[in-house]
Amino acid sequence: MAKKIEDKELSIEGAFEQVNEKIKALENSDVSLEDSFKLFQEGMDLLKYCNESIDKVEKKVQKIIGDGQTEDFE
Amino acid sequence: MRNVYTVAQVNSFIKNMFQQEPLLNLLTIKGEVSNCKYHSSGHIYFTLKDASGAISCVMFNGNRAAGLKFQMKDGQQVLVTGTVDVYPRDGKYQVYARKIEPDGEGALFEKFERLKAELEERGMFDKCYKRPIPKYIKTLGVVTAQTGAAVKDIINVSTRRNPYVQIILYPAIVQGDGAAESVAAGIEALERMNVDVIIVGRGGGSIEDLWAFNEEVVANAIFNCNIPIISAVGHETDTTISDFVADMRAPTPSAAAELAVYDVSLLIQDINDYQDILGRRMMDKINLLRQKEANDRRLLQHLSPVARIRDQRMRAAQSRDRLERLMLERIRDKKHLLDVDIERLKALSPLDKLKSGFSYIADKDGQNIKKISQVKAGDELDIYVSDGLIRATANATEKRDNG
Repeated sequence: MAKKIEDKELSIEGAFEQVNEKIKALENSDVSLEDSFKLFQEGMDLLKYCNESIDKVEKKVQKIIGDGQTEDFE
Repeated sequence: MRNVYTVAQVNSFIKNMFQQEPLLNLLTIKGEVSNCKYHSSGHIYFTLKDASGAISCVMFNGNRAAGLKFQMKDGQQVLVTGTVDVYPRDGKYQVYARKIEPDGEGALFEKFERLKAELEERGMFDKCYKRPIPKYIKTLGVVTAQTGAAVKDIINVSTRRNPYVQIILYPAIVQGDGAAESVAAGIEALERMNVDVIIVGRGGGSIEDLWAFNEEVVANAIFNCNIPIISAVGHETDTTISDFVADMRAPTPSAAAELAVYDVSLLIQDINDYQDILGRRMMDKINLLRQKEANDRRLLQHLSPVARIRDQRMRAAQSRDRLERLMLERIRDKKHLLDVDIERLKALSPLDKLKSGFSYIADKDGQNIKKISQVKAGDELDIYVSDGLIRATANATEKRDNG
């Protein structure tokens, strides 16, 4: 089982950076098949995390009306 | 005889010349206020100066109510409307002001340059304080007027690029009284809401319209804000203090939205591309190992005992074949020699000779008789002929020379 992404605050840029590292490691011919599968799975998990961190709900513009209070902006 | 005049006559003459010049009777002069004194009499004395020189001015108490709407201070840029006339007591000319107004553009420009220099000196424009604008944001704060083109442009561009980004608008007063304080309050309010990036700006306008973004209170709010700020004030050609202090300057509000909000379709594309690359690298890896495995298997098979046995068996078979072949050859050779010998023997066989009429004579012991000395009369002899044996007795011997 691939390691879970522990850092909940991981940015998408950070995740991409890590995916790049996994790809680089995969390109190394000395890495065993088992480790390769692990790297692949971890990379896929990171990309899934990126995809999930796009909260795919269209947002309504909010307007600040008071101290910390907002309402829909028309 | 020389003409001699009194001081009063000369001053009066000059005063008369001034008064006859229509331009000097009503004109507007611009310059910077200095040596400004509000006299206890209510009159105001000051000097108007610019880079090239100075001129004395006075505004009498009676003109103040209608002609001066602000507290005049040294350093202000003003437009003074009035008359230039001679003050005979001092033999000086001066401006008798009827109306004094602040010189908007000139004053603002001066002020802008001064504040810019001051803030620059404080290091507030220094690159080391610029925060990078994060690439993938979730929330965008906007400080601008809630009506007008700027807010519409920002919302349109942001939504087109990425409808999933939450825009939070602080509806600010962007021009007129309290504008700078309102913009500063907006920055602070959005910082408290912990948005990812803030756009501060407004659409185009005159230098007065954009002035709030040249105020120190706004500059401080931007500088002190822990969230990256993009300044987008007016058009591309407008430059404000907030542009210098902000972490990034955008030429227009639309451009600011482009800089702040990432294109979600590109991100999804990137994710897909990375998935493809990962998959391909994994397949490469598997193929490489497969190939390696095939090579190893071939090598192993080559070295295995089974292969050796098969190899040796094959060699044994080959040796046997060779042996057999050699053996047969040898036999064939010997047989041939035998045949030759047989032929030769045949040629030597006594039987053949007997057939051709010769006989073989042996004594009773089977010894072949070759000389007469072996026989005496009366000895029994066996005479072998082609089809049998003749038992005979020798009568006599007789010696002869054969040849």
